[in-house]
Amino acid sequence: MNEATDMNDHDVKAADTNRRDFLKGGSVATLMGLMGGVRLFGQTAAEPAPVGKPAVAKYKVGVIGLGRWGREVLNTLALAPQAAVGAYQVEVAAICDNYPSSVRRAGEVVPGAAKTEDYKVILENKDIPAVIISTPTHKHKDIVLAALKAGKHVYCEAPLANNLADAREIALAAKAFPRQIFQAGLQDFSDPERTFLLPFIRSGGLGKNVMTRAQFHKKYSWRQQSPNTQREKDINWCLDKTVSLGLLGEVGIHPLGQAAWFLNAKPAAITAFGSILVYTDDGRDVADTVQAICEFPGGIRMTYDVTLGNSFDGNYEMFYGTDGALMLRDSKAWMFKETDAALGGWEVYASKTRFYNETGIALMAGASKGKVSTPTAAEESPALKNPLFYSLGNFVRNSSDYTNAIADYTANFGDDQDGLLKHLNENVHKRAAAGFLEGYQATVTAVKASEAALTGKRVEIAPDLYELK
Amino acid sequence: MKIRTLIATNAALLLVVAFSSQAADKILFRAKPGKDMKMRLEGTSTVHDWQVEGPIIGGSLEVGAGFPTEPGQAATPGKMDAIADVRIPVNSLKSIEKDGKPYSDKMDEIMIGKLKCPPNRFITFHLTELVLKETAKAKDAPYIFEAKGELAVAGTTNKITMPVEITPLGDKKLKITGTTSVSMKDYGVEAPVLVGILSTGDKVKLIFDWPVVAAAPAAAK
Repeated sequence: MNEATDMNDHDVKAADTNRRDFLKGGSVATLMGLMGGVRLFGQTAAEPAPVGKPAVAKYKVGVIGLGRWGREVLNTLALAPQAAVGAYQVEVAAICDNYPSSVRRAGEVVPGAAKTEDYKVILENKDIPAVIISTPTHKHKDIVLAALKAGKHVYCEAPLANNLADAREIALAAKAFPRQIFQAGLQDFSDPERTFLLPFIRSGGLGKNVMTRAQFHKKYSWRQQSPNTQREKDINWCLDKTVSLGLLGEVGIHPLGQAAWFLNAKPAAITAFGSILVYTDDGRDVADTVQAICEFPGGIRMTYDVTLGNSFDGNYEMFYGTDGALMLRDSKAWMFKETDAALGGWEVYASKTRFYNETGIALMAGASKGKVSTPTAAEESPALKNPLFYSLGNFVRNSSDYTNAIADYTANFGDDQDGLLKHLNENVHKRAAAGFLEGYQATVTAVKASEAALTGKRVEIAPDLYELK
Repeated sequence: MKIRTLIATNAALLLVVAFSSQAADKILFRAKPGKDMKMRLEGTSTVHDWQVEGPIIGGSLEVGAGFPTEPGQAATPGKMDAIADVRIPVNSLKSIEKDGKPYSDKMDEIMIGKLKCPPNRFITFHLTELVLKETAKAKDAPYIFEAKGELAVAGTTNKITMPVEITPLGDKKLKITGTTSVSMKDYGVEAPVLVGILSTGDKVKLIFDWPVVAAAPAAAK
């Protein structure tokens, strides 16, 4: 798998789709608007359930790192395993954390899983083909490298690392193992809503892009409590600037990475200002409030603000063009058209939502080609169908497809490495997911953004820094 | 006793020579993976036709003397000395749109379940008889055969007969193509029904393109 094919074919092709295709694809969706609402949804979620139960094979994964995010991963996998992986019911076969209480606590979610405090035990288990690594960012590298060497498919949370050298080492290692899936935990890249909107934005659906904006507003400390002093220090690694990329790097990597993806451009410079304004006496040295300006080539800028001191308006991302603005909230999207923008026709029938003085035209992905577009109850459940759900689902699907394809190919044609790689590249359809290159590039942005927030200065990012050599 | 021993020895030698000669006449062809290899299934439903494709058809074909292995080679219609075993991994079959783009993971899930995989990881075909019906009308034209054999799907095996075209491409390569239609019921495969939406027809058309290439002779021990 080379850099060009690292991002899945679906995404590349989607990006090439023109605006007309997009509008055509949305035509059924817009008809649904007549019934009172159109929102952008993905195809996979809208398909009906079969009568009778198909045979289900188990696909085993191990989860390494059972902190706050690791538990979120476990809960997501445990909530809807079948829906996530199709014919392969995911089985969390083993869990690992170096803190015994975390293993015990996580074990309640997956009681059947083997429990260990040594990740090498999972890597040595030949029955487990894939691992999800959700340890603190600065602890990813050794585990990822060992997992790849052990032949595992690897899902590594984003950022890949807290410094450029480690991120590069991880990405290059992933590149060196093309028979294995490596997925970076940029879950938005797997969200059907966003993969649907990608060609819309890239093909000028909003007119000429002029700017973008995002925010993460939440009233919480980002701190976790523990009766054990050392443990409390360990679990609050994200509040320690020596190992954490701070809010801009750890949280901001997602909207920053998404903007780069949608705009098909890499940030050239970032200016940021961070302050500890609320949690001044808990020993943290990373900012609880950060404002950043990210400069893209061509004069397009993204402003991003993140605070733990105020929750107003939550999280969302905006993309502004000369024909309209697009708002993304969770896995929903609305377009606000300019009055002088040409009418495409489809907007007339689309569902509308009022936002103070503005009217948002809701968009719905994948409701075309005769596929059922009515949202299901599960679709409406953010707990089940969020970007993490799709991201983990796509990882397990892609991994199981690779595992099967390799087994089928070698069983029939022997261990012809070149032929096998050709087969994997040409015949295995990979679902939308961020690969090692996207993960690396987003991590470059996150590291530089963090540097800007710490120094309060404009940090330039040389284009060649994004290249993986 | 000496004469009897001599006769027995000579007879044994003759048998060995005859067997060796026969073995030397055999050519083993193995499946050659690539873009030319394709297994395609086509079916109908109450809503729209569907199609499934897979890139892997494994297995081998062994043919004896008189089998046309080179373009334009003379051959006599009739039963051929040929055996073949073919296998198609169920997991490699994927539903596609008419334009070839992936269709639906859900459909794949249903199909794999209906084909009872696991435990039946492969659809297999064992050739029991191959009869040359028509020789090639031109150097690059196919030879027309009738193939009889055992097709195993979802753990059920049935005897089938189907027309097969074999085109020698030169350089010890053959292009083998064929089409046949089977009833899913005959293999104990229930036609998938999607609640309130569609039900699929019982007949499924199987279309295959199977390139094979002569295996290199085994090195002498």
